[in-house]
Amino acid sequence: MAAEKWVYMVTAQTSPNIAVINYWGKRDEVRILPVNDSISVTLDPDHLCTVTTVAVSPAFDSDRMWLNGKEISLSGIRYQNCLREIQGRAGEVKDKERGIKIEKKDWEKLHLHIASYNNFPTAAGLASSAAGFACLVFSLAKLMNVDEDASHLSAIARQGSGSACRSLFGGFVKWRMGSKEDGSDSVAVQLADEKHWNDLVIIIAVVSSRQKETSSTSGMRKSVETSSLLQHRAKEVVPKRILQMEEAIKNRDFASFTQLSCADSNQYHAVCLDTSPPIFYMNDNSHMIISLVEKWNLSEGAPQVAYTFDAGPNAVLIARNRKVAVQLLQGLLYYFPPKSDTDMKSYVVGDMSILKEAGLDGENSVENLQPPPEIKDSIGSQDQKGEVNYFICTKPGRGPVLLPDQTQALLDPETGLPK
Amino acid sequence: MAAEKWVYMVTAQTPTNIAVIKYWGKRDEVRILPVNDSISVTLDPDHLCTVTTVAVSPSFDRDRMWLNGKEISLSGSRYQNCLREIRGRGGEVEDKEKGIKIEKKDWEKLHLHIASHNNFPTAAGLASSAAGFACLVFSLAKLMNVDEDASHLSAIARQGSGSACRSLFGGFVKWEMGSKEDGSDSVAVQLADEKHWNDLVIIIAVVSSRQKETSSTSGMRESVETSLLLQNRAKEVVPKRILQMEEAIKNRDFASFTQLSCADSNQFHAVCLDTSPPIFYMNDTSHRIISLVEKWNRSEGTPQVAYTFDAGPNAVLIARNRKVAVQLLQGLLYYFPPKSDTDMKSYVVGDKSILKEAGLDGENSVENLQPPPEIKDNIGSQDQKGEVSYFICTKPGRGPVVLPDQTQALLDPETGLPK
Repeated sequence: MAAEKWVYMVTAQTSPNIAVINYWGKRDEVRILPVNDSISVTLDPDHLCTVTTVAVSPAFDSDRMWLNGKEISLSGIRYQNCLREIQGRAGEVKDKERGIKIEKKDWEKLHLHIASYNNFPTAAGLASSAAGFACLVFSLAKLMNVDEDASHLSAIARQGSGSACRSLFGGFVKWRMGSKEDGSDSVAVQLADEKHWNDLVIIIAVVSSRQKETSSTSGMRKSVETSSLLQHRAKEVVPKRILQMEEAIKNRDFASFTQLSCADSNQYHAVCLDTSPPIFYMNDNSHMIISLVEKWNLSEGAPQVAYTFDAGPNAVLIARNRKVAVQLLQGLLYYFPPKSDTDMKSYVVGDMSILKEAGLDGENSVENLQPPPEIKDSIGSQDQKGEVNYFICTKPGRGPVLLPDQTQALLDPETGLPK
Repeated sequence: MAAEKWVYMVTAQTPTNIAVIKYWGKRDEVRILPVNDSISVTLDPDHLCTVTTVAVSPSFDRDRMWLNGKEISLSGSRYQNCLREIRGRGGEVEDKEKGIKIEKKDWEKLHLHIASHNNFPTAAGLASSAAGFACLVFSLAKLMNVDEDASHLSAIARQGSGSACRSLFGGFVKWEMGSKEDGSDSVAVQLADEKHWNDLVIIIAVVSSRQKETSSTSGMRESVETSLLLQNRAKEVVPKRILQMEEAIKNRDFASFTQLSCADSNQFHAVCLDTSPPIFYMNDTSHRIISLVEKWNRSEGTPQVAYTFDAGPNAVLIARNRKVAVQLLQGLLYYFPPKSDTDMKSYVVGDKSILKEAGLDGENSVENLQPPPEIKDNIGSQDQKGEVSYFICTKPGRGPVVLPDQTQALLDPETGLPK
C-alpha cells in the first residue's frame, strides 16, 4: 500500500460548567479523585464554549496539539492519561466513501493532531480546562468510535481535569466522589437536563484582577495539607448539602438552591482562607457584588439571585427568571458602569438581547440608571468604573455535541494542520 | 448632717489587647461566655490606652457617664451588669483627710459619675470597648475598695465586653472559657508579663475602610447560628492551639507563635466568611499586607513577622525584634506611602523613635525607599497611597494602673463634672 495520506477528523463542542456545590481537595492526586461530591450547572455553549477538532492520519508522525492557535506540549501526565485511557477503548472505524478502515489494534500506532479553541479568554478565569478536557475526551471518543456512555467518558475526562467530568453532560450534573481506589466509580451523572429549569438566567461578572491567581491544583493541595476545617467540610457538611441540592434542583426550589449555592461558595472560600499560606480568590469587588445580592434578597423576602465564585474573583450570578435578571443587570451596571468610551455591546456579551430589555441599548443609557431602591446608600460608593471588565449573560446549556459542519473544523482536512 | 458635697474620685489607665488565639462565638449571650478559650497580647498603654475617672458623691443624683467628652446612656445591660457586680462587692472606704467615710451598705445608694477617654480614635477599629470596660471595672474596684484579685475583676469586665477581661493584665493573657453556667470560672489569667518577651515590636496598620463594619457582637452571634465550621473550630482546633500557643509564649518560640497567630487569624476570618450572610472584615489592602508578610517569612526561611486581624481591616504585625520591625516598616512604607503632603510624624505614631532608625525622618525619605529585595515585583502595584491611614508602633505592655496625678483626672474634683 502506498503511504496513506487520508486524514480522518471529527469536531465537537462542549461548554464550561460552574459548581454550585464545590470541589476543593483531592484524596488522590494522580487519578484526580476528590474528597467530596460536587454539583454543577453546565453553561450554554452558544455563549461560552470550547471547540475541538481531532484528526488521525498515517501521515502524522507525532501527537500534536494546538490550543487557541498556539502549539502546546502533550507530554504532561494529564494529557497522557486521557490519551492512553481513550486509546485503550478505541473501536473499529470505517469510512467506506473515503476507503478508510481503522482496526482496534491500529490506534496505538497512529498519531493524532488536536486543535482546540475557547471562545472566552483564559484570563477571564472561567475554567477553560474543564471544557477543554471534556471536549478532548468527547471528540476523541467520537473519532475512535469508543463504545462508552457519557458517565464512563467522564471518568477519563476527570483524569485530565477534575471538573471536566461534569462538562460531559448538559443541565445539572453531579460528580460522585466514588469510593474505589482505581477511580472507576468517580464519575459524573446528570441530575436534570438543561430544559428542566429554563427560567434561570446566569450573569457572569468578569472582575478585574491585579494579582496572578493561585492555580486550583496547587491551591487545593495546600488546603488539604494545611486547612484544619477542610476534612470536616468534606465529611460532615457537603454530604448533607449534596442531598439538599439534589432536592432543590428536582423541585426547582430557588430559595433552597440559593441558600445552598451561596453558603457553599462562601465555605469553599473560607477553606481557602484557612489554608497556609491563605488563598484569597475573592476581592473587594467580589465582596461588593455579594453585598448587593445579599441585601437585595433580604429586602425582597425571598431570594432572587444566587451567587457563586470559583478560583478567581469572577461572580457567577443566577437569577430566578428573566425579569429578575434584567433588574440584576441594571443594578450591576449602576454600581459598575463601563469606562466612558466602552461600547455596551462589548461590555455585556453572550445573550445580548438582555440589553434591550434592560433599556441599556441606547446612548447614555447607563447614566440614566436609577439606583436600585432597596439598596440605595447601603452599598457604598456607586462609581466602580473599570472594576468589572465585562458581563456575560447566559443560561444553563446542553452537553457535548458533534459539529458536523466542515467549516467549523479547526484543522485543514487535507493537511491535518491548523487552518 | 448638712447635705454632703464631697467628691471622692479615682483615675485609672488600662491598655487594649489583641487576640492571637481568637474569641469568636458565645455560648451564653447574657453572661458573655465564649465557645472557646482565647489568648491575647496586651499593648503598651503609653501608645494606646483608655483613661477613666470615676467619682462618687452624695450630691450626685444619678449615675452618669461621658465617653470621649460626650454623655452616653448607662441603661444598657452591659453597663448595668458591670455596675451591679462591682457595687455588690464594694468595701469600706475612708479618707480621713477629707473626712469621708463610705460603708459597704452605702454603695447601693450612692451615684457615680464616670468619664472615659481613649487616646485612639474609635473609627480606628482598635477594640476600644475592651480597654473601656476593663478601665471602668478596674477604676470602680479601686474607688470602692473592692477586695478581689485581677482574675475575679476580669469576670466582671467580661460582662461588659468579652475581650475586656483580657485587659486586666499586662503581657500575655488567657481568657479561660470556663464550664460553669454562672460564668464564675470564665476569667482571664496572666500567662507571662510584659517583660517576658520584650524583643517583640508591634506595628499596627490602620487601614482605610469604605464600609461600616459588622459589629463583633452581632457578627459572632450570626456565626454561631449559621456557620457549620464554627463548632468544629471551637471543639477541635482551638483547644490544641491554646496549648501550643502557651508553650510558644513560655519558650519565646517565635516560629510557632507566628504559625499559630496567622493560622488562627485566618481561621477566624474563614468562619466569618462561612456565616450567612458572609462577613468580610479584611479587604484587599489587608490581603496585600498578608501577602507581603507571608512572602517575606518564606524568603527568610524562618518567620520574621506574625500577623493578626480583628473584626476590621487593620493589620496587627508582630516583629520578632527591633531590627526586623525597622525592615518591616520600610517595606510597609514602600508599598503604602503616605499621601503627598502628610507629615511622617502623623503617619507613624506611637513609638516614633522607629522613624529615625528606619531612616524615615528626613525629607523625601519615603521616595528614596528601595523595594524589599525578597519580594520585589511579587506583590503588585507599588503605589497604594491612602490605603493605610497611618501606622502605630508599639509593643507588649503593662496592665491597668491607678493614675495618682490629679491633673490626669477627667472630672473636676469639686463638681464631679467633666473638665
